[in-house]
Amino acid sequence: MKIEVVDCKGVKVLALSGDIDMYSSPDLRKELMHFVHKKVSPLLVDFRGVSYIDSSGIATFVEGLKSMMGYGGKLKFVGIPEKIMEILCFAKLDRVFEIYGSIDDACRN
Amino acid sequence: MECIAAMKDSAVISIPSDPKYLSVIRSVVAAMGGICGLGDSAVEDVKLAVDEACANVIRHAYRGDTGQKIVVKFRVIAKRFEVVIEDNGVKAQPHLIAGRDLDDVRPGGLGIHLIKRAFDVFQFDERKRKGNRLRLVRRIGGGQ
Repeated sequence: MKIEVVDCKGVKVLALSGDIDMYSSPDLRKELMHFVHKKVSPLLVDFRGVSYIDSSGIATFVEGLKSMMGYGGKLKFVGIPEKIMEILCFAKLDRVFEIYGSIDDACRN
Repeated sequence: MECIAAMKDSAVISIPSDPKYLSVIRSVVAAMGGICGLGDSAVEDVKLAVDEACANVIRHAYRGDTGQKIVVKFRVIAKRFEVVIEDNGVKAQPHLIAGRDLDDVRPGGLGIHLIKRAFDVFQFDERKRKGNRLRLVRRIGGGQ
């Protein structure tokens, strides 16, 4: 998994690529919690390059979201591949995370 | 990774109990699923499920010890794709294995749901004296 931090018109975007699994999710958690501790909001996560996610990756985002809710922060997902969307729906997390088709849409809302 | 052995419509892989080898397991599951006739979506489902099961071995049976061994066996029998995962770690207590209520949004407790979503049979072999032998079976064909 690769993590790239992009500044998009003043909004922080975590652009992820590759597989998010038990091996890589600790790195993701470290990066995500770095922004959570700084109370960054909104924080966008760009999934367009993500080929795989397991339950440890999903748990990392649930933990991040819960921490952000503590300061009224917004965690927004962008460009989720179909198979990953299917897993989020199965886990009923599509109702919990804010999900957008594009970075522009996520920034507008 | 120790070895891959194969007979007709079957294969065995042995990996260290280190999360960095989970990608190897996923590659083998995907290849075996395809060879055995699972559709693309079913292959993705079983790949995730076997990854989750092996992650559980590392987390629970071996309690994070990366120096142990996980053996994963694949075979096809009578239109069923069977995966057997063996370890020599702490015995699982099947009656205590339950995922979280999916309406209760919190980190963790999702993996077991993802395994049972992909496989029709989820069964620990209680005859194994030391460690665990988890048998997962998915029917091939029909609504995959």
